[in-house]
Amino acid sequence: MLPASDRIHNGARMARTLTLLGLESSCDETAAAVVRQAEGAAPEILASVVEGQAQLHAAFGGVVPEIAARAHAEKLDLCVEAALAEAALDLSDLDAIAVTAGPGLIGGVLAGVMCAKGIAAGAGLPLVGVNHLAGHALTPRLTDGLAFPYLMLLVSGGHAQFLMVRGAERFARLGGTIDDAPGEAFDKTAKLLGLPQPGGPAVEAAAAGGDATRFAFPRPLLDRPGCDLSFSGLKTALMRARDALVTSQGGLHEQDRRDLCAGFQAAVTDVLTEKTRRALAATGDDRPTALAVAGGVAANAGIRARLEQLAADHGVPFVAPPLGLCTDNAAMIAWAGLERFRAGHSDGFDLTARPRWPLDAAAPALVGSGRKGAKA
Amino acid sequence: MPPEPLVLGFDTSAAHCAAALLCGDDPVARRHEEMGRGQAERLFPLLEELLSEAGAGWRDLAGIGVGIGPGNFTGVRISVAAARGLALSLGIPAIGVAGFDALAEGQPGPVLASLDARRGLAYLALAGDDRPLDPVLGAPDTVALPAPAGTPCIGHAAETLAARLGSAVRAPADPCAVAIARVAARRLGRRQPRPAPLYVRPADAAPPAEAPPVILP
Repeated sequence: MLPASDRIHNGARMARTLTLLGLESSCDETAAAVVRQAEGAAPEILASVVEGQAQLHAAFGGVVPEIAARAHAEKLDLCVEAALAEAALDLSDLDAIAVTAGPGLIGGVLAGVMCAKGIAAGAGLPLVGVNHLAGHALTPRLTDGLAFPYLMLLVSGGHAQFLMVRGAERFARLGGTIDDAPGEAFDKTAKLLGLPQPGGPAVEAAAAGGDATRFAFPRPLLDRPGCDLSFSGLKTALMRARDALVTSQGGLHEQDRRDLCAGFQAAVTDVLTEKTRRALAATGDDRPTALAVAGGVAANAGIRARLEQLAADHGVPFVAPPLGLCTDNAAMIAWAGLERFRAGHSDGFDLTARPRWPLDAAAPALVGSGRKGAKA
Repeated sequence: MPPEPLVLGFDTSAAHCAAALLCGDDPVARRHEEMGRGQAERLFPLLEELLSEAGAGWRDLAGIGVGIGPGNFTGVRISVAAARGLALSLGIPAIGVAGFDALAEGQPGPVLASLDARRGLAYLALAGDDRPLDPVLGAPDTVALPAPAGTPCIGHAAETLAARLGSAVRAPADPCAVAIARVAARRLGRRQPRPAPLYVRPADAAPPAEAPPVILP
């Protein structure tokens, strides 16, 4: 228990210990975590609970938003109880409640925001809305204490972007995908080839025994300047190659599948490596303290190795948080909330859940930029 | 400080944000705001206004009743998630109350309760006396009715259903949030499951149309 005088949040930059609960429910992981930091000291993850939904969506070949929302609404409070028990803390030990308020599947985000409002109202604690992407982007500060500015490559099932992270709420987007996210492309590849979901690990395992040179898959957008990415054409090329084999042989041999996976993975790796090289070059004199990665795709060993080499060639440290903190989790939300809260920010009980919420509002929209604005 | 334990009831299962505060049998404050969207933003400010109007605080509540539908999926989840969060932080029970039980509250006997399911359909259930619910979804003029002839009808499709059953149309005894609070107050002290949405309709999802490729030996 902290002294009472320490618990008054007045926005002043007083040295004090902050403990936040975080909730995450924007896709297919229901999560709750507790993070604590004494000002100036390294943060500590006191608990991190992640309840996956993979088996609920397995039969559908992708995340079904309504199924995800139904599960989140009935799991969030259980995850919070489990996280508090793991941290051996009561709500009275907390300074604020952080929650993912977007971007993501709106049904799940809403369940999280409403559960967090209920907890905050009943416990008399401040509420801090967190951008899910900020959670990913700030994770290297939680795990490795990175100083600003650093270059972040965020590559997951729902996102792909290069961010220059200048502050806890200051992000400049250097580029991103104009269509699919790479994790989505891995999942679709797995689906097309009859491999299990999630596709990332399945495709990576199959690719290990394959010949990456057998199929000449495209490297989309390498012919264009800048750091934008595209993966939907690559997926189409893979489907055509598969269909040609199925037509001529009546199916796929195990080796065909391995070669297709290896070719696909090599194309993704080449594209991400080259675009990351350009992003590093684009930072110019504003030299980043590190190249950091986050998102489930960063778990791919081949991609990780190439990026690590690239960082070494540029003389910047390479930071990849442990896998459990690369994929969706609530520790990153508690941490991003803690950074916001320490800076004096919190939200009212009218906090809105936002399906679309770009981190860098100044950057031109890339995906889904209809009348509602950029997705992420 | 109110003399008797307070029970809060709220509901966002349809195009409204409704809440009521019950002190004993007495609804001491209530709100009903029609809104097609924005319930997630409005619910907590509305609840705080309600408490403050009654001169009460969150810590004065003895229990929470929450509308679990059936109705708008997102709307139901907004309230259920909020109620679960409140129950966790206040250490009080949150009790899920089906729309059918809210309609049947205060009626002298069982009623065939109906709720709007859109697309010309209604959710129906025989309700009253805290009987277990067995809801059905169908067109009010053709669906097989889960109630014997003569059962009074109440709710969205009451007139159509009453004509089919040769029975009377009843009006709800209370606005929905008051009824939800009353049902919850009566169930307080009994062991209750955590509130969960009553969807009736399954999630709209179909397995992939395309079969995976044949793997050759």
